[in-house]
Amino acid sequence: MRASLERNSTWPVLTAIGLTLLLSLLAVAAPLRLPEGQGFPAPLFPLIALYIWSVRRPRFVPPWLIFLTGLLQDLLTGGPLGMWSISYLLAFAFARLRSSEPSAREFILLIARFAALTVIATLVAWIAGSLSIGQPADPTSLVTEAVITLVIFPAFCWLFARKRERTTFS
Amino acid sequence: MAQWRSARQGADDTIRFSRTLLIMFMAISAVLIAADRSEDRVEAVTVFRAAFNDLSLPVLEAAAQPLRGLYNIGPWWRRQIELASEIRELRQEMAELRAWRDVALNYSEQMRRQQELLNLDPPMPRSRITAWAVTETGGPFVRTRLVGVGTEHGVAPGYPALNIYGVIGRTIDVGARSSRILLLTDLNSRVSVMADRSNARAMLIGDNTDFPRLDYLGRAPDIREGDRIVTSGDDNILPRGLPIGEAVLDRRGVWRVALYASATPIDLIWIWPFDPVAQPEDVGLPPLTGPAPVDTDGAQESGSGEAPVSSAVLEPENGGEGR
Repeated sequence: MRASLERNSTWPVLTAIGLTLLLSLLAVAAPLRLPEGQGFPAPLFPLIALYIWSVRRPRFVPPWLIFLTGLLQDLLTGGPLGMWSISYLLAFAFARLRSSEPSAREFILLIARFAALTVIATLVAWIAGSLSIGQPADPTSLVTEAVITLVIFPAFCWLFARKRERTTFS
Repeated sequence: MAQWRSARQGADDTIRFSRTLLIMFMAISAVLIAADRSEDRVEAVTVFRAAFNDLSLPVLEAAAQPLRGLYNIGPWWRRQIELASEIRELRQEMAELRAWRDVALNYSEQMRRQQELLNLDPPMPRSRITAWAVTETGGPFVRTRLVGVGTEHGVAPGYPALNIYGVIGRTIDVGARSSRILLLTDLNSRVSVMADRSNARAMLIGDNTDFPRLDYLGRAPDIREGDRIVTSGDDNILPRGLPIGEAVLDRRGVWRVALYASATPIDLIWIWPFDPVAQPEDVGLPPLTGPAPVDTDGAQESGSGEAPVSSAVLEPENGGEGR
């Protein structure tokens, strides 16, 4: 019964992935018009969404989806085109190079892997962005983004990534 | 059973991360980065971005509404208290400003008359285009804003954008219903400015900080801290006299400008249609008036000095038609 449910769950999963990625992109690019009037470094929600889905349903996170997510982030935020797509692709390529995918049970390992992923994505984004503008960019904003992302990630991980544990092992 | 299921799940979730696809998409990303370099951006990328902005802007605006509401609950209450005292101050200020308005109207009339006398034709502002600025990226690479007006509303690339305090930047990518504004703080922004007090010229160069740099000041620039900096119009990009900010000297002794526009969030802005002075070659040369060139062959035959003159006169006219 459960197995057949798993088999039939392709479309709901695809829809859920699409929606979460769309929401995460909107959360990054939405014009909040904060009262301070300053640009507010938003967390890398798309990276969190991609990572959590890659833990829960790895086969539904192919390279083209990572590429598309990064590209849409570039277009929506007005950043250099291709910057986030190459950052996410390289970060995930690194994550996949490691032999064992961390089980959702290993909460700390999940966070550690995500931290590595975020550091790589940020570093690549900084290099790509600097190449695009033709001089080293001020990394403060990117680093702030990465730190905020890492601070909020455990909450998301606890809420969403742990679910896989239940469906698989209960 | 449980063991079988978990094994099956494992097989189902096997990582299918095609290396070829990965490399291919990385290569595409690299090409895109190269094509979107700010120095030599490919025209197709600009067009594509403008079209994408047109499509995405309504979605972004809709998505921002609930988020904006959430973010603004606290500040909203604080603002109400601030507003009460602000209204009191504004009423007082308004009373004082009435007197100034009369003075301004008087001067404006005088200036109009003097301009008539001097036969000056200053670029008069056409009606401003009002828009809400959206998308605060806050990234380290670009300082831009998106506005929901485009060519359909009369916006063209290069128009200055202002908020109630001063210039914020100028339009770059212009689509049918949306445009991107390059802020003065962006790395690619270069605006010719001057100090209002001394007319000392300088170039305002954005460096992705909140205080753009004043450069090309000359050897002994007549600039003092607190000088009002306005556009000089020398660059033929922005009109002369638009307020920019105040000159400040940073700790390293570099002149910078504290932008007036930073005093408030960049949300409601005006785009000011401005046509730079066109080069004579671009507007076409006026038709030549004067005696019609008489029979050139006859002139050559006669060997008089008029022949070269008439052919020289004819040349630019032919050149003009060729363009």
